[in-house]
Amino acid sequence: MKTLLLALISLIATTLFAADSPPVGAAAPDFSLADASGKTHSLSEYKGKYVVLEWFNPECPFVKKHYGSGNMQKLQGEYTGKGVVWLTIDSNAPGSEGNLSSEQAQKVAKDWHTKQTALLLDPEGKAGRTYNARNTPHMFVINPEGKIIYEGAIDSKASPNPADIPSSTNYVKVALDESMSGKPVSNANTRPYGCSVKYK
Amino acid sequence: MNAIRRSVLFLWLPAFIAMTAQGQIYQGKQLVQAEAFANVSAIVPGEPFLVGVRLKMQPRWHTYWRYPGDAGIPTDIKWELPENWRAGSIQWPIPLKLQEPGDIQIYGYHDEVLLIQQIMPAKNLADPTVKLSAKVNWLVCEKICIPGDAVVTLSLPRAATNSPANTDLFARFQKQLPGAANFSAFWKSDAVGLVLNVTQPELAKFPSVDFFPSPPENVAVGHPRLESHQGANYTFRIPLDNGKQNFKSMPGLIVFGNSTDAPDRGAWDISVGQEMATANENSTSSGVVRFLIFGFIGGFILNLMPCVLPVISLKIFGFVQQAGQSRVRIFRSGLAFISGIFAWFLGLALVLVVVKSAGGQPVWAAQFTNPYFVLFMSAVVLVFALNLFGVFEINLPQWLTRRAISAEGSMHGDAGSFFQGVFATVLATPCTAPFLGTALGFAFTQSATVILLMFGSIALGMSAPYFLLSAQPAWLKFLPKPGPWMVRVKQLMGFLLIATLLFLLSVLGAQRGVGALIWTCSFLLVLSIACWMKGAFITPVASALTRFLVLVLMLVLVVGSGIYFIGNKFQSAAAVANPTASSGGWEKFTPERLASELQQGHSVFIDFTAEWCITCKFNESTVLETEAVRTAFSERQIVKLKADWTNGDPAITKLLKQFGRPGVPLYVLYPGGTAQPYVFPELLTKNIVLEKLETVIRTIASQ
Repeated sequence: MKTLLLALISLIATTLFAADSPPVGAAAPDFSLADASGKTHSLSEYKGKYVVLEWFNPECPFVKKHYGSGNMQKLQGEYTGKGVVWLTIDSNAPGSEGNLSSEQAQKVAKDWHTKQTALLLDPEGKAGRTYNARNTPHMFVINPEGKIIYEGAIDSKASPNPADIPSSTNYVKVALDESMSGKPVSNANTRPYGCSVKYK
Repeated sequence: MNAIRRSVLFLWLPAFIAMTAQGQIYQGKQLVQAEAFANVSAIVPGEPFLVGVRLKMQPRWHTYWRYPGDAGIPTDIKWELPENWRAGSIQWPIPLKLQEPGDIQIYGYHDEVLLIQQIMPAKNLADPTVKLSAKVNWLVCEKICIPGDAVVTLSLPRAATNSPANTDLFARFQKQLPGAANFSAFWKSDAVGLVLNVTQPELAKFPSVDFFPSPPENVAVGHPRLESHQGANYTFRIPLDNGKQNFKSMPGLIVFGNSTDAPDRGAWDISVGQEMATANENSTSSGVVRFLIFGFIGGFILNLMPCVLPVISLKIFGFVQQAGQSRVRIFRSGLAFISGIFAWFLGLALVLVVVKSAGGQPVWAAQFTNPYFVLFMSAVVLVFALNLFGVFEINLPQWLTRRAISAEGSMHGDAGSFFQGVFATVLATPCTAPFLGTALGFAFTQSATVILLMFGSIALGMSAPYFLLSAQPAWLKFLPKPGPWMVRVKQLMGFLLIATLLFLLSVLGAQRGVGALIWTCSFLLVLSIACWMKGAFITPVASALTRFLVLVLMLVLVVGSGIYFIGNKFQSAAAVANPTASSGGWEKFTPERLASELQQGHSVFIDFTAEWCITCKFNESTVLETEAVRTAFSERQIVKLKADWTNGDPAITKLLKQFGRPGVPLYVLYPGGTAQPYVFPELLTKNIVLEKLETVIRTIASQ
């Protein structure tokens, strides 16, 4: 009876909040995805560490803005160096721009000198839909307790122009720095900007 | 690291190289073609016209609306204009709501869109031909997204007159612009987000009714849903992803049509004005206490306001006179004066409560918008002045003093003090001192009890110094001793009252014009003669017959001239439309003007003022009309509107009420875009204004 009730409640909840991301402060939903080399990564295996989720599309000008300028690689390098797990996720459907085969993913990572922990492939859009990732880039930061502490844009200037990067505030960096020094995240939720994720 | 930089640099270069000045080539196709148009054949200096940037997109590709939805960015147009020119913000046609897989909703345009802006040219143009150019940035998407930019130019001759141009193009897209809402939007917020409720009978005719949100920068919005509708009443739910912010309402469009993408769709913009109504809705008991304190302080400050100043002198004079009397009498006079203050305020509160319950809209200082009230006050002040000059003595003391002495009371003193209290307070009303405005603004939305309490606390504040002075007459010893100099002081006071009279007459002049002013002065002249007659002939030594005849003659003169000059001549002098427009860069306020300026994205400053408001005049001459502030306004291209409330314009009354203010002065700055209006304190300083203008520009620049 109790299980039935719970199932009913969760059903209602999922219908009600179908269009919304898991809210900041909630437990980050688990997922398992294969990386470019075929190795499977689960979010749950990184419990106890900070995890950054970054939605990705190599064709998207907003993604290119941050990789072309070296901004994203620098961020990835800095925080993976501090023990943060950085998962880049490609949720674009096969046949859509930005979808990557394993080989293409390896090539992009190599050519672009990316520094994330893993580039994960999500052609079915499972992880993307669970998180209601709408943009590339769309960023999530998860703390060692497995709670979402940031969701939204990578930085404060919604433009495809790399020249805007030096004058923008990087929200992911701010969230990580604040949380790591024991402070609450001041700006935990922003409006993400970028291309839409090309779901199946 | 350098090698990495260089190797990754070219990643984004191709995308940017592909954009030419005119458009954007992708896989051999020109994705977006940008071109600029004007709706006139020539530029007439100082006359606004419209320019439009037309974006033609390849089939299935789209550019974005001002709120792009879940992805994308809005098209951005930056006009390069000569000095002293102004460009309004983009007038966005109603967008399409487009769905993408994964429940992604975006708002944008297919095929072709014209983004219209108003251009205000300078009043003086040197060149015979003017070249305007704009940098246009867009993001165009189909399956993928490609940013593009172009520089579009327009070359127009200068001329004394012009004719319409590109009429079909402009008409086609102006038809797609949303109209201003002619109904009220009601907002509620809960844990999930906002609930919007609108009622508009027109909507019921259309199968498709939707809300397109246009949230401020960086507010993430879920997908609005039509929650329910009954007849003409529609309820939308707008989830806020980061809804922890204190968000009470949101600009946006109510879009209606036969289908969601029908070409004949219409829309109402509920961006302008609606969110203001919710600005003053917090009322807690601690709020009441705070406002009562404000009321007290405001009442106290009323004593220091310019329009009470002459009356204060009168009262000080009264204290000097009383200084020789017994302490008990002084205290009694003080109490009588205080009850006069209370009587006025509580009477006012009662009237207010009655009128409020009758559905009227009473407004603080509204008495001064009524010319007959001003006229009456002028007559009273003149009679007082003549009395101080010694033209006539008030005979009341004669018999009253006798009675008073016999009754061992000082009936005259108390009654006089009582009416002085009333009189001082009547004169104080047009100067809504800083705290008083806020406190009263609050009281107006409250219950009868709170209004009475409120006015009571104002009266208490105003009477506090008199209570102290009359209870502690020791302090009166600091005042000079009575003597012959008092006659001189009395006469000097008379001149102060004449100054007050001048002020009242200037109000009348502003309300009814020079003609009415002359008739008023004529009446005042006759009134003066009557006063002189009283002083000259109605003396204790005159015979009863003389006194009677003179009294009759006086009455005939006053009543006759009243009927002739006021009832006849003054009455027919029409209210003057105030010639405030365009002096010192100020333009006349109308709600329509405000709405249109805001829709064009201009920053707007409104000066709510009135001829009879000395605080307003003071602020204008010491702050608003100073060189520094003027320059700041013009540099930042802020539209300056003057809302003249001298005659109690109901449209202005309504707006004052929306800002929770019962009267003038009120200074409001709309920073432009979707930013909330900022309300300045009632007493301005240059610093306050300049600092605020500074931050406004920063906010705009960072968007």
